[in-house]
Amino acid sequence: MTAASSRVTEPPADILFRLKVRAIPAIREVWQRRELVRTLAERDLRVRYKQAVLGVAWAILTPLALMIVFTVFFQRVAKVDTGGAPYALFTYLGLLPWTFFSTSVSQGGQSLVVNNQLVNKVYCPREVFPLASMAVAAVDTALATLVLGLLFAVTEFMPKPTTVWVPVLLAVQVAFTFGVTLVLSAVLVFLRDLRHVLPIILQLGLFATPVAYGMDVVPASLQVLYSIANPLAPVIDGYRRTVLLGLPPDWHLLGPAAVAAALWLVVGYVVFKRLEPGFADYA
Amino acid sequence: MRDGEIQASRVWKRFRADRQRQLLRDQLDRLKRRITGGSSAHGWRWALRDVDMAVGSGESIGLIGPNGSGKTTMLRMLAKVMYPYAGRVAVGGRVGALIDVRAGIHPDLTGRENVYLYGSLLGVTRREVARKFDEIVAFGELETAIDRQVKFYSSGMHVRLGFAIAAFTEPDVLLVDEVLAVGDAAFQQKCLDRMRAVLAQGTTVVFVSHDLQAVESICERAIWLREGVVESDGPVREVLGDYRRTVEQAAEVLAPAFGVVRVVKSEIRGPGDTPVSQQPLEVKLLLESPEPLWASISIGISEGPATPIFLLGHEALLPAGQTELRCSIPFLPLPRGRFYLWFGIIESTRDLVPWHPVGQFEVLGPELTPTPRGILRMAPVQVTPTWEVEQR
Repeated sequence: MTAASSRVTEPPADILFRLKVRAIPAIREVWQRRELVRTLAERDLRVRYKQAVLGVAWAILTPLALMIVFTVFFQRVAKVDTGGAPYALFTYLGLLPWTFFSTSVSQGGQSLVVNNQLVNKVYCPREVFPLASMAVAAVDTALATLVLGLLFAVTEFMPKPTTVWVPVLLAVQVAFTFGVTLVLSAVLVFLRDLRHVLPIILQLGLFATPVAYGMDVVPASLQVLYSIANPLAPVIDGYRRTVLLGLPPDWHLLGPAAVAAALWLVVGYVVFKRLEPGFADYA
Repeated sequence: MRDGEIQASRVWKRFRADRQRQLLRDQLDRLKRRITGGSSAHGWRWALRDVDMAVGSGESIGLIGPNGSGKTTMLRMLAKVMYPYAGRVAVGGRVGALIDVRAGIHPDLTGRENVYLYGSLLGVTRREVARKFDEIVAFGELETAIDRQVKFYSSGMHVRLGFAIAAFTEPDVLLVDEVLAVGDAAFQQKCLDRMRAVLAQGTTVVFVSHDLQAVESICERAIWLREGVVESDGPVREVLGDYRRTVEQAAEVLAPAFGVVRVVKSEIRGPGDTPVSQQPLEVKLLLESPEPLWASISIGISEGPATPIFLLGHEALLPAGQTELRCSIPFLPLPRGRFYLWFGIIESTRDLVPWHPVGQFEVLGPELTPTPRGILRMAPVQVTPTWEVEQR
């Protein structure tokens, strides 16, 4: 056998390996390993807070600083129609989902590359790495949300009862964020230099998303298209409508956005699974 | 498929020769090459070629071979960390892999935090880890250091922590890759003991190591990989014997680069030519010296490139020109096997012939009686005692 096989230089085509992925068992496995997601997230949080003097405060400072900057500049320079709500609240409600998205994408996108030591040497469902990054971003967002309560108190503004719609908006937001994070984390393993482009794209994204301004800036005829291209836009708009203005979400925009987000999630997962066999080879 | 079984058939695996670089630029280059019809085999290197490996539940397999022969790649595929390019790999039950145990350990966390982190990486629940925590710490001898950040650990402590966690995860298949190299002798012994204990519980063990004696003491069967191909697969003693022979053939009889006296020829003879266990042996060496020298001659016999089993010394005057040196032993205290003849000459402190192997020889003899598992070094010296078993 030895002599024969050393002469063969290529495997016969009929035995080429193909990773068979069945979605349900794969998802169930991730669910079974949810403790690992928690442990990895905990590790990242612990490491971060051990190294940083300000610790937990960072989670709050980033959106807070942007909020102050936006409030000072946009409110003065460009008059933004907030529908009567305080601008600080208006923009902070946009900053929360945006910060969650950008942290997830930038940290989660690099998660496989950063954890290459583990990807290379320990078996676990690979989805746990982007998921753990998202969990960290979620903790940050939860902390930053505490500040929102403070803002309501300071501005003496009360959230409206339509706030009950928030979970629906949150689902669309998380689905979209997870989809993008999955694609990026997988692709980044093979295209390392994309990592340097990512911060620039995210910078642009901040302005392409209605964080500092409202949805009404976009011409009405383009709003649906805009919502499909950027599902975060109607989500942020929805938060403002429900929490600040007492209106239901704009279903004409949120519907297409939800479909787009679901598509991102499915395509993202397929791309991730397709590229998965190569992770350990290149990570 | 039963828990603890391994079935790998016709496994092929390749890597990019330039796999360090994963930039957009490189991908575009590759794309261009593909479009212009370049060969698709360009830049690939085969790590494994058509490897078959079938292991039954509870078996202990040693994977041996020189660096770069594909041992670790094979192990990674068994651990499902990597996927083959072609072929099929199936492992039954829970797999515990110790492939660089330091990988799962984060330097900024304390030992305690790492126990939980690595435990859950290996698929053990927090509850289980908490239950075994004291045992793990005791095994790793880390009682005083467990709340210290791991970056302040010594590398030995680092490995001890990793091995201790992995050793207590109770897998069906335990894959161990050269993790023992860093620990001190006492800890190595402890790890080997632990592996034997795990084996006794019915766990399948696949052990990759360059420490052939350790492999011999743990494994019943060995698979020798050579440039990604299975060279031989069989009982551990036979495979290791073959392996030692080729590895050491390559290293052997390297004429020393310096030395005043030259070894022209060496010969080892037993009664009827081949040396036989417990029989007389004669070593003949033909030396050539440029001038008359007063020499301290040493001859040694070893099992491998390691320390000699015994040394024979003699002082003599070497005249200028060729001299034949003969040394006889009335009784060869070696068991059957392959041995090496080492030789060196010094004059006061000057090396006339540096200490080096000058030949190898086979000793014939009766098959050794089976020894209990766990004897690290197979006894290199054979003596003939008289036994008396008497009831009192």
